[in-house]
Amino acid sequence: MKKAAIGLYAAITIALMIWGFYQAMYVAPTDAMQGEIFRIIFYHVPSASVAFLFFAVSLLGSIGYLSYRRSHPEWAQVADAWALAGAEVGVVFCTVVLTTGPLWGRRAWGIWWTWDARLTTTLVLWLIYVSYLLLRRFAAGPQVQTLAAVLGIFGALDVPIVYMSNRWWRTQHPAPVFGGAQGSGMDKSMLGPFMWNMLAWFCWGVFILILRYNVERKHQQNAEAEAQEALEANV
Amino acid sequence: MDQAAVLDHEFVIAAYIITWVLQLGYLTYLAIKWSAEKRAAARRTSSLR
Repeated sequence: MKKAAIGLYAAITIALMIWGFYQAMYVAPTDAMQGEIFRIIFYHVPSASVAFLFFAVSLLGSIGYLSYRRSHPEWAQVADAWALAGAEVGVVFCTVVLTTGPLWGRRAWGIWWTWDARLTTTLVLWLIYVSYLLLRRFAAGPQVQTLAAVLGIFGALDVPIVYMSNRWWRTQHPAPVFGGAQGSGMDKSMLGPFMWNMLAWFCWGVFILILRYNVERKHQQNAEAEAQEALEANV
Repeated sequence: MDQAAVLDHEFVIAAYIITWVLQLGYLTYLAIKWSAEKRAAARRTSSLR
């Protein structure tokens, strides 16, 4: 039953990805100002949205871990697994943003990169979460999860700054398409393909987030069992 | 299509390919990690018997 549900979800997600690609390449009209290069928006913006969402998952997981680590150790492990999964999958999506963005910028602005507010704060966000993953990978000892949780909360503070950066500081990056100044928004003919791609990337993201969570839970169970066996062997 | 439009199109395709390489690469990494954890659990169970 569980396998069938996973298979069905994966099939729906793949169908949505194919449909989203078709919408982005063949249904959405060419942008009057930017031309063909505008089509990067269908991968760039959904990836940024999903990255923000998963960093929020990591934030909640980190808060959960710090709240429950003494009172409910089992709940704390679950929260920690969500925190790690959110951070790692968020980094993958943020990497997509930081690679598709310069490709778009090169054609639209004539430059690969500039130290504008939106680009710089996004790079800082990515670096914070990469350091979170490095801490979890290479540090050892009983305090690693606690330190990682604190760093996870600290990193999440950058998310609203990234989101607001092109509202607070008008530098190179364009003003927000959604929720921006009066007159901002997207033409109906482009909005449909955009929303399909948002849905497709959200479903894909949730799929790999849950997979990453399960891998971490399995890892925790194996580590716990090994520690238990080592204890019993010493008795 | 003029040359600028062709170049734009190539950049869009490059962005899409990079996105999929990153996503599928990560999925492959997770699949390998998952099977390693399963193998470790199975090894432990068999050594207990």
